[in-house]
Amino acid sequence: MSGRSERTTPSDGGEAAIDVEGLELVYGDGTRAVDGVDMRVPRGEFFGFLGPNGAGKTTTIKVLATLLSPTDGEVRVNGFDVRTAARKVRASIGYMPQETSVDEELTARENIRFACESYGVPRGEHADRVADLLDLVDLADVADKRAEEFSGGMKKRLDAATALVHRPPLVFLDEPTTGLDPKARNRLWDYFERINDRGTTIFLTTQYLEEADQLCDRLSVILDGEIVAEGSPAELKRRVDGEILDVQVEGGETERERAATVAREFPAFGDVTVSVDDEGVSVTAETARKHGTDLLVALRDDGITVTGFDVRAPTLDDVFLAITGEELSADPDADSEMHETEGVVG
Amino acid sequence: MSTPGVEGTETASSATDDLSVNSFAGDVWVNFKRWNLKAVRNPFVLVVSLVQPVIFLVLFTEVFGNVAGRAVEGALGPGVTYESYLVPAIAVQVSLAAAVTSGVGLVNDVENGMFEKVLVSPMNRTAVFIGKTAAELFRIAVQIAIILGLGVVLGAEVQTGLAGALGIVGVGVLFSLWFVAFSNSLAVITRDQESTIIGGNLLQFPLLFLSSAFLPLGALPNWIQTFARVNPVTYGVDAARSLMLDRDVMTVSVIETETFGGTLDGVVPGVAVLAGLGLLLGGVAVVLLSRATSADVR
Repeated sequence: MSGRSERTTPSDGGEAAIDVEGLELVYGDGTRAVDGVDMRVPRGEFFGFLGPNGAGKTTTIKVLATLLSPTDGEVRVNGFDVRTAARKVRASIGYMPQETSVDEELTARENIRFACESYGVPRGEHADRVADLLDLVDLADVADKRAEEFSGGMKKRLDAATALVHRPPLVFLDEPTTGLDPKARNRLWDYFERINDRGTTIFLTTQYLEEADQLCDRLSVILDGEIVAEGSPAELKRRVDGEILDVQVEGGETERERAATVAREFPAFGDVTVSVDDEGVSVTAETARKHGTDLLVALRDDGITVTGFDVRAPTLDDVFLAITGEELSADPDADSEMHETEGVVG
Repeated sequence: MSTPGVEGTETASSATDDLSVNSFAGDVWVNFKRWNLKAVRNPFVLVVSLVQPVIFLVLFTEVFGNVAGRAVEGALGPGVTYESYLVPAIAVQVSLAAAVTSGVGLVNDVENGMFEKVLVSPMNRTAVFIGKTAAELFRIAVQIAIILGLGVVLGAEVQTGLAGALGIVGVGVLFSLWFVAFSNSLAVITRDQESTIIGGNLLQFPLLFLSSAFLPLGALPNWIQTFARVNPVTYGVDAARSLMLDRDVMTVSVIETETFGGTLDGVVPGVAVLAGLGLLLGGVAVVLLSRATSADVR
C-alpha cells in the first residue's frame, strides 16, 4: 500500500535538515497557531506534515522558510538559525507555497531564468539548468509560452521547477497538489520522488493521506498547533487495531444509526469502534474480517438492507480519525489556514 | 516516466557552504530586468498610460489653443505658443499616469504569489524594490521622451535644446517619485488592485486641473490659485516649463528666488520641493513596505 514507508532514512551523520525545539507562534490576535512543536528531519528524508485546515501546517512551514518569525523556540534549518541567519536559510531551501506562484506574464523559461538570477546561479549555468528543469517537469515543449496559458497542473510544475534552480538540499512543499486532478497529482508525485531520490530532503504538508502514504518516509500529525502523532505511515497504521468493515445501508440517517447500534452491540466483535458516515457505517475490530458476514446477517434480521460492504486494512484516514476524532478534509477547495495572508503581511 | 536530460540537476548540493547569492547591485539588476520584461510583455499598460496624455495634448492644443494661447501670451508675453506651454504639463501628466501602475504591479505580485516567492529568496529586499522602481522610472522617462517628441511634431519648441529636453525628462522622473511612493503605499495598505488604481486615478485630475498645468495661475479663480500653490503638480510643471521656455516661470511666489539667475531660478526650487516630497512619501512607503516584508508576527 505504501510505496515508500518502509524505506530506511539515511543515517544522519551531521546536522539535521530541520531541527525544531519548542516552536511557538502566537498571532497578534492571540491565536496560538503553533504550540510547542518539536521536530527533527534528517537529511534526505521525505517527511510529511499532516493536519486538517487551520491545524498549523502552513504557519509552521512559513516559520521554517523565514516568512514568519517564531514567538518562541529554537528553529534551525540546514544548520542555520531562522532568526539570525535568515538569508542563509533562504539561500539553502526551495519553497513551493500553497498558492501557485508564477509570473504569468513571463514564459516558463523566463520564470525559471528569473529564479536562477534570484538565487545567484552562475550565469554560465543558466541555460543548462533551465533546460534540465524544463525537461524534469515536462514543460520543454511549452517553454516559450506565457504561464498565463498554462493549466493549473502545468503552473504547479513550473512553480516546483523554480524552487529547484539552486539545487537546494531541502525543499518545502506546502500542499502542492491541492486542487489538481488525479493525473496531474500523480505526475507531481512522480516528480517529487525523483528529486528526493537525488538526495534532496523534502518537507511536505498535505491534507491528502493517500499522498502522505505514497510518498513519505515519516509523518507528523499536527492538530490545533500540537504534534499528536509521529512515525512511518506503516507504524501509524498499526496504531489502528484490527481491520475495517465498511457497510453501506439503504435508507437515511435513522437506518444508519440503527445499523451502528447493531454493530456496537454485536457480541462477536468484542472491542469495537463504529462510526457513521454518509453511506452507512464503518466498523473497526480485530475480528472484522472473521465475523463480518455474521454482522451482515444480523443487520438483515434487524430489517436493514445492506447495499454493499468491504473489509480492508486501515488507511491513514482511519489513523487520522482514531487520533484526532475528526476526518481529514480532502476538499481541494477547502480554505487554507486562517492566517495565511497575514503571514505575507508580516 | 523517464527522466530525460536531468544530468545537470542530478544531485542536490549536500553541503550548504557553496550557496551563492547576488551582490546588492546584482539583485537590483535582476529585478530591474524582470519589471522591464513585464512592461514589454504588457504593452497595453504602456499604451494606456500614454493614450490619455496624448489625447489631452492634441485636444487641448486644438480646442483651447486659441483661447488659452491668449491667456498664456497675457501672462508670459508674445512668442510663447500654447503647444510649448502645454507640453511640460503633459509630461507631468504622463508621470502621474504611469506612477499609478507601480502600486498595481506590487498588488499583482502579492496576488499571484511572486511577492512571497521573492521574500523567500535570498535577494536583498531593498534591492528588490529599488530594481522594480528603477524599471518604472526608466519607463516613465521613455514615455516623457515620446511626449516631448510628439509635442515638437505638433509645433512645441524646447528653447533650451537637447540638454533642456533631458532636463524635462529628469524633472518628470523626479516628479513621479512621490506618486510612485504614494501608489505603492496604497498597494500595501489596500492589497487590492481596484482600490490602488482608483485611489491613484481619483487624484490625477484634481491635481492636474488645480495647478498651473493648463493655464497661468492668474487666469484661474482664487481658490484654485490657493490650492495650486501647495500642489506638487505646480512645482513639477513650472520647473519643466522653465526648461521648455528657457525662463523662470515658477509661479509660486513663496519660493521665488534669483539666486541662480534666469531659467534655473524656475527649475531649482521646483526640483527641491519635489525631491523633498519624494523623500517624505518615499520614507512612508519604505516603512510600509518593510512592515509588509517583515517576518514579525502580526
